[in-house]
Amino acid sequence: MDSSSGSEFDYLFKLLMIGDSGVGKSSLLLSFTSDTFEELSPTIGVDFKVKQVTIGGKKLKLAIWDTAGQERFRTLTSSYYRGAQGIIMVYDVTRRETFTNLSDIWSKEIDLYSTNQDCIKMLVGNKVDKENDRVVTKKEGIDFAREYGCLFIECSAKTRVNVEQCFEELVLKILDTPSLTAEGSTTVKRNIFKQKPPTGSDEATSGCC
Amino acid sequence: MDAKIGKFFESVGTFFTGGDSIPWCDSDIVVGCEREVAEAEKGSTDELKSECLLRLSWALVHSKRSEDVQRGIAMLEASLPSTSSPLQMREKMYLLAVGYYRSADYSRSRHLVDRCLEIAPEWRQAITLKKSIEDHGVIGIGIAATAVGLVAGGLAAALSRKK
Ligand SMILES: Nc1nc2c(ncn2[C@@H]2O[C@H](COP(=O)(O)OP(=O)(O)OP(=O)(O)O)[C@@H](O)[C@H]2O)c(=O)[nH]1
Ligand SMILES: [Mg+2]
Repeated sequence: MDSSSGSEFDYLFKLLMIGDSGVGKSSLLLSFTSDTFEELSPTIGVDFKVKQVTIGGKKLKLAIWDTAGQERFRTLTSSYYRGAQGIIMVYDVTRRETFTNLSDIWSKEIDLYSTNQDCIKMLVGNKVDKENDRVVTKKEGIDFAREYGCLFIECSAKTRVNVEQCFEELVLKILDTPSLTAEGSTTVKRNIFKQKPPTGSDEATSGCC
Repeated sequence: MDAKIGKFFESVGTFFTGGDSIPWCDSDIVVGCEREVAEAEKGSTDELKSECLLRLSWALVHSKRSEDVQRGIAMLEASLPSTSSPLQMREKMYLLAVGYYRSADYSRSRHLVDRCLEIAPEWRQAITLKKSIEDHGVIGIGIAATAVGLVAGGLAAALSRKK
C-alpha cells in the first residue's frame, strides 16, 4: 500500500561529511550539488544541502550534512552523526596529517556518535588534481579502507573527477543494505527528525530492531 | 494513528526541504553546549570561554524553539560590541542573521547578511542564508505590513473612541 501519497521519492537518505578543516568537504558538496568550484570559507558549525537523484532505478532525496572540520566546532557536529545511513570521510592527498587524523580522530568520532550499526562509510581522498603535491599514495588509501571496512575513492572537487561516482557508489551500497532501506521511506525519513541519544554501548551485538 | 504520524513527518519533511537549507539543532545539543559553558566559567582561559559561548550561540539560533532563538539573539547582540577579532565579528554577525531569520525579522537579517557578504563575497553559508531570506522576504513584508495596518487601525479606533 502506498502510505505516503504525493511523495515524489522512494527514499530519503541522510549522509554526513566529516574530516579535517580544509580537506574540501564543502567543495565536494558544492561540486556535487551545483557543478561549481570556488574558494570557500571554512564552514561554521554545520551546513546542509538536499539533492534529488535517480540511482539504481530509485528516486532518492539525499540530505547531505556538511560538518565543520575545525576542532572548536566539534561538540556541535558530533550530534549530526545520529541516524546517518552514510558517512563520507574526506582527507586531502597533499596533507598527510589529514589522513592520519582519520584513524586518530574521525573513526573514533564515528564509533562514539553514529547510531546506525550498518551505516556505510566511504573514504575519500580529495584534491588529486594536485598530483605533484601528493604525499598520500592511492595504495595507502586502499589499505586503510580495507582495514576499516569502507568504500574508497580518490577525487577532485576542482576538476570534478569522480565526484558524482563518490556519492553514487555510497548510495548504491546503502540501497544494497536491507537494514538501511527495509523499514520503508517513512521510517527512514523519521530517523532524521527523531534523533535518539547515542547508545552508550561500546559493542552493540544485537540488531537494531 | 499511523497515518497521522506519517502525515506529520511528511509535513516536517516538506517544510524541512522546502528550499530551507539552514540546518536545525536539537534541544539536547543546546543543553550540552550550556553544560560546556557552565564548566568553562569555572576557570578556563578567555579563549576557551569564548569558543564555548560561540558554540552555544550557534546551537541557540539554530534551535527549533523560539525561546532558544531569542536567547541566542540576546547573547550575540550583547557580545558583539566587545568583539575585537574580525573573524569572530563576522561569525557572530552571521549567527545573529540566522537568529533574526528564524524569528522572521527578515529585514534585519538581510542587513546583517549583506554586511557579511561585503566582507566575504564568496561566503557560501551567507549566500544560502540570503537566498532563504529572499524566499521568505515577500511573506515577511506582507506580515509586517498587516501588523502595521492592524496597529494603525487599532490606534485610530482607540483615538476616535476617546473623542
Ligand atoms: N586544488 C584543489 N583545491 C581544492 C579541492 N577541494 C577543495 N579545495 C580547496 O581547499 C580549500 C578548502 O576547501 P573547503 O571545501 O572549504 O574545505 P572543508 O573541508 O569544507 O573545510 P571546513 O569547512 O573548515 O571543515 C578551498 O580553498 C578549496 O578551494 C580540490 O579538489 N582541488
Ligand atoms: Mg566546509
